Amino acid sequence: MLDWLPPNISTIGQEIDNFFYVIYYITNTVFFLVMATLIYFLIKYRYKEGREAKYYHGNNTLEVVWASVTLVALLILALASQPLWSKIKQDIPPSDIVVQITGKQFNWEVLYPGPDNIFGTGDDYQIDNNLHVPVNRVVRIVLKSKDVIHSFFVPSLRLKQDAIPGREILAWFEANKTGKYEIPCAELCGFGHSGMLGYLFVHSPEDYQKWQQETWPPDIEEVGL
Amino acid sequence: MTSATAVKEVHTTHERQGFLKTYIFSLDHKMIAKQFLLLGLFMIWIGGGLALLLRWQLAYPEQPLPLIGASEQYLETGEPQSSMDRFWDSELSKSDDEQGWLTKRMPVGIITPAFYNALFTMHATIMIFFVVMPILIGCFGNFLIPLMIGAGDMAFPSLNMLSFWIAVLAGIIMIAGFLVPGGHAASGWTAYAPLSSDPTWTGVDWGQNLWCISLVVLGISSLMGSINYITTIINMRAPGMTFMRLPLVIWSLFIVAILLLLALPVLTAAIAMLLFDRLAGTTFFNAAGGGDPLLWQHLFWFFGHPEVYILILPAMGVVSEILPVFSRKPIFGYKAMVLALSGIAFLGWIVWGHHMFQSGMNPALGATFMISTMLISVPSAIKTFNWLGTLWGGNITFPAPMLNALAFVSMFVIGGLSGIYMASTVVDIFIHDTYYIVAHIHYVVFGGSIFGLFAAAYYWFPKMFGRMMNQTLSKVHFWFTFIPFNCTFFPMHILGIGGHMRRIYNPMQYEFLQQFEGWNIFISISAFVLGFSQLIFLFNFFWSMFKGKKADDNPWKATTLEWTTATPPPHGNFDVLPTVYHGPCEYSVPGAKKDFTMQTENVDLQAMSGNGGNGA
Amino acid sequence: MTSRTADFDQIELAEDTREVRKRHGSGAPPGIIDDDFDPGNDANGETRPSIGNAFIATLLFLGADIMLFAGLIGAFVVFRYGAENWPPPGQPRLPVGVTAINTAILLLSGFLMAHTWRLLAGRNRHQIVKWLLAVLALGVAFLMVQGYEWLRLLDFGLKLSSGVFGATFYTLIGCHALHVIGAVIWLSAVSLRIRLSSHAFDERRIESVKLIGMYWFLVVALWPILYGLVYWS
Ligand code: HEA
Ligand code: HEA
Ligand code: CUA
Ligand SMILES: [Cu+2]
Repeated sequence: MLDWLPPNISTIGQEIDNFFYVIYYITNTVFFLVMATLIYFLIKYRYKEGREAKYYHGNNTLEVVWASVTLVALLILALASQPLWSKIKQDIPPSDIVVQITGKQFNWEVLYPGPDNIFGTGDDYQIDNNLHVPVNRVVRIVLKSKDVIHSFFVPSLRLKQDAIPGREILAWFEANKTGKYEIPCAELCGFGHSGMLGYLFVHSPEDYQKWQQETWPPDIEEVGL
Repeated sequence: MTSATAVKEVHTTHERQGFLKTYIFSLDHKMIAKQFLLLGLFMIWIGGGLALLLRWQLAYPEQPLPLIGASEQYLETGEPQSSMDRFWDSELSKSDDEQGWLTKRMPVGIITPAFYNALFTMHATIMIFFVVMPILIGCFGNFLIPLMIGAGDMAFPSLNMLSFWIAVLAGIIMIAGFLVPGGHAASGWTAYAPLSSDPTWTGVDWGQNLWCISLVVLGISSLMGSINYITTIINMRAPGMTFMRLPLVIWSLFIVAILLLLALPVLTAAIAMLLFDRLAGTTFFNAAGGGDPLLWQHLFWFFGHPEVYILILPAMGVVSEILPVFSRKPIFGYKAMVLALSGIAFLGWIVWGHHMFQSGMNPALGATFMISTMLISVPSAIKTFNWLGTLWGGNITFPAPMLNALAFVSMFVIGGLSGIYMASTVVDIFIHDTYYIVAHIHYVVFGGSIFGLFAAAYYWFPKMFGRMMNQTLSKVHFWFTFIPFNCTFFPMHILGIGGHMRRIYNPMQYEFLQQFEGWNIFISISAFVLGFSQLIFLFNFFWSMFKGKKADDNPWKATTLEWTTATPPPHGNFDVLPTVYHGPCEYSVPGAKKDFTMQTENVDLQAMSGNGGNGA
Repeated sequence: MTSRTADFDQIELAEDTREVRKRHGSGAPPGIIDDDFDPGNDANGETRPSIGNAFIATLLFLGADIMLFAGLIGAFVVFRYGAENWPPPGQPRLPVGVTAINTAILLLSGFLMAHTWRLLAGRNRHQIVKWLLAVLALGVAFLMVQGYEWLRLLDFGLKLSSGVFGATFYTLIGCHALHVIGAVIWLSAVSLRIRLSSHAFDERRIESVKLIGMYWFLVVALWPILYGLVYWS
């Protein structure tokens, strides 16, 4: 089943996938043990004329054992995934590329601060649905929404974050492979939810520069406006 | 035990009550139970039908439905070929106002995106609130509580009747939503604001309002029901029926009633605010007006998580009842089971945030909710292992109730284990809002609650209707449900891992999902088989009601009180109030004459068996 | 044979139970697990309700009611402590002083209700009705003062639709007011029945006073919490 995961192009994606694998192996083991036991019991203890069923009400030691084993296993799982979680959602690393992405019915508005690297100045650059970033650089995203809740989902980056009207939510990623990837919206946002689709372009540094030069407005200060 | 004359006497008084009092406004808990059952069995066809429409769209996106859709030639050439083509032709030539109900939702037989949203919203709403709850809680709660604790009826029979009719009213309001202009609620069963709180975002006006009103009305019905259940269980137990001798299904219904009592008012409060936002110009959930969209999610899931346990606990109780009967063994770890139930009831209140890991709520809270969610899996683990322990060393037979109960155990384990993936905050980043969640949902609510519901229906049918259900048909139905069920919902895990979002109208719009077209078709075909095999159940159910083999008082040789009275039980249930001497599942007591010792048998188990079954 | 109808009386059941058990002639069942969980079971394993059905039902109802308020209070707290200024600029302040008096009125009614409870044992119908009417009058007074306040606030421009400040105020306080109205109606019905009926002041009447009393206590007890939260914080 693991082959179905979309190709991973982000630096933290592999760590998430690893957790996925760990849980996959744990739960599969549990599942096969439980099923094997169940089926074994069903066959071994199937009805036989004259068989006496055991008169047995349970065993407290056993209860304590399996409860504690499950508890410990799950707690370890929870605690182990905590550092990665705070790395992804809490300790947003510094970055020099900041993009503001605003969800609205049914588009992603992508806003770059422009050459001066400050939002809200005349040279901001906005495009719909296309997010261009350089490879191997930390990109910070400021997520906003104009109307209802949307969810910024990039399967290949293992990144998902809801955009909430009235809030600015930070997310970040670092892509390590160039290419074009899809950005679906993952939270129901109305009849156009399906098909609210953007694209992520991960460029080589040179290509990114080229794209910037071709599309961005000129730096206000340089031109001297 | 049963005195034939008494039964006759009761039956004659029964007939004198007249049709209305017997069948419609009956105060008898057994009749009210049957009414709830019919309500649920009626609604399941609507909820299931909506699911099949969903599945058509997902497998064959934007293609006309079979039978009612326009033909391919017509769509290409505009030349009507069949009578359906002519119908669509004339509909499309009408102005917007004149177009019929169907044309607004599926012109030429193609489901529109807006209607698709209404489909899954109403599918989930109907299945959860009008199928699983009325049947598992309304029907079996009503039927079993008085009979299994040895009471003549519920504590408040009139409240009971009122509870049913209010539920019907809620159902009518909910169904009426399909007919209003603008269509039915289309913001998911979770109704996330502000999508749900402002008609401008969806174009849905009274549909969503009626959705809200219906759930408030249903909340009143559930409130009455749960007050009745709890009071009855506390106060009306037969002599000797201590709490620790209650059958586990009664324990689970008791806990469920407490959860219902405390959870639904929170939903009511939230829905009241939502309605105010829609109708009175408040801005509780509207950020522009100072409100907070996340507040809705917190309130909804504070109710919503207890709600999912409300759906599964009665089924767990049913299974804990059935496994001992058909393995002829006492339940393994009765006390541990009761503790696990209570544990779920407590922990269920502190895990709601696991639905909101990616919602933008403070990430530090995510960690807390992850830990509490892991904790709440422990009671479920205890229950699973105890069910296995019950089978160990038994003498197992496989009639339909047992097959469904075993299906419950194995399917619940799959659904529960997939819950662990989502409980882990980091893994949930990827699988949140994908079909992995949809797979989880259906493994727990269909694999869990619905198999539990079938198990209960097969097991208690004889007591309810006085006849046996046809065993062959029951088994055919079981296999035609179990296999298509897995074919339908297991591949959804694969879709989820592939990143396939839920609630999308057309997966083929995404490049990375095109590889899943085949799977979607396979899932849909399995879903159709699954849906239509339920006709076997329907047929068996009604046929057996009139033509089935007459059942005797205790066809499964079980030990609990409902099997001590006549089949079907008379008005007032017992002609002599039973006295209870021991726990609910004393099977295969060494030294006993039969392999089951009724709860009413005045015998000393300890003396008989030497050690009383030890361990516990 | 005792074949009861469905809507039998609880008391009848309790008697019935003993009767049947007498007939069975069974003493303590052997092998009984003792169960300190269960107040209804005495040493003989006999179940007799120690609290009436109606009491339990009312208690449960109050529990559900508290959860309803918990939901609304939760919403209030989110907004109140999420806001920088409260009340938001441009919104009127709430009448803390008048409401303090109103709080006193409601609390007093609670004490009077408690007093009435103590009188119940005396079964003096006229005295009890008198006190109940006093409670009722205080309840009505509370509603009237609040109604007047609301009119003034509306005059000042505080509406249900004026932001979350107005919305939480009117929903939360309004929900409580609805409860007071409910309590007043219920209490009037109870008082009227006691007043008009020619029956003796029996157990059922006592119970009816106790039930409305419990509800009244909840309504009174909620108020200081709401007053503190909504008017003071
Ligand atoms: C009957 C209903 C039911 C039940 C019982 C459960 C049980 C569980 N659920 Fe589920 N859940 C739903 C119904 C249910 N759920 C629904 C309807 C949704 C979607 C709502 C929506 O968004 O529309 C949902 C969504 C949902 C989410 C949100 C996902 C998301 O949106 O991103 C999460 C996250 O933590 C979750 C977790 C769990 C867990 C951990 C359990 C646990 O209780 C499971 C415990 C059971 C087991 C673990 C199996 C048995 C145990 C063993 C065999 C022991 C050994 C095990 C180990 C050592 C691992 N569920
Ligand atoms: C008790 C709960 C329950 C049950 C029983 C079911 C049963 C089924 N569910 Fe559903 N489902 C949910 C609860 C449930 N579901 C929830 C909570 C959601 C989330 C909703 C949301 O996102 O808001 C969901 C969402 C959901 C989706 C995802 C939609 C999306 O995200 O876009 C899908 C898609 O395949 C689906 C399919 C099915 C199918 C095929 C069945 C089958 O098991 C149904 C089988 C059919 C029957 C039992 C009835 C048989 C009827 C007929 C034979 C009728 C024939 C008549 C006609 C064709 C008119 N369900
Ligand atoms: Cu935007 Cu879904
Ligand atoms: Cu949950």
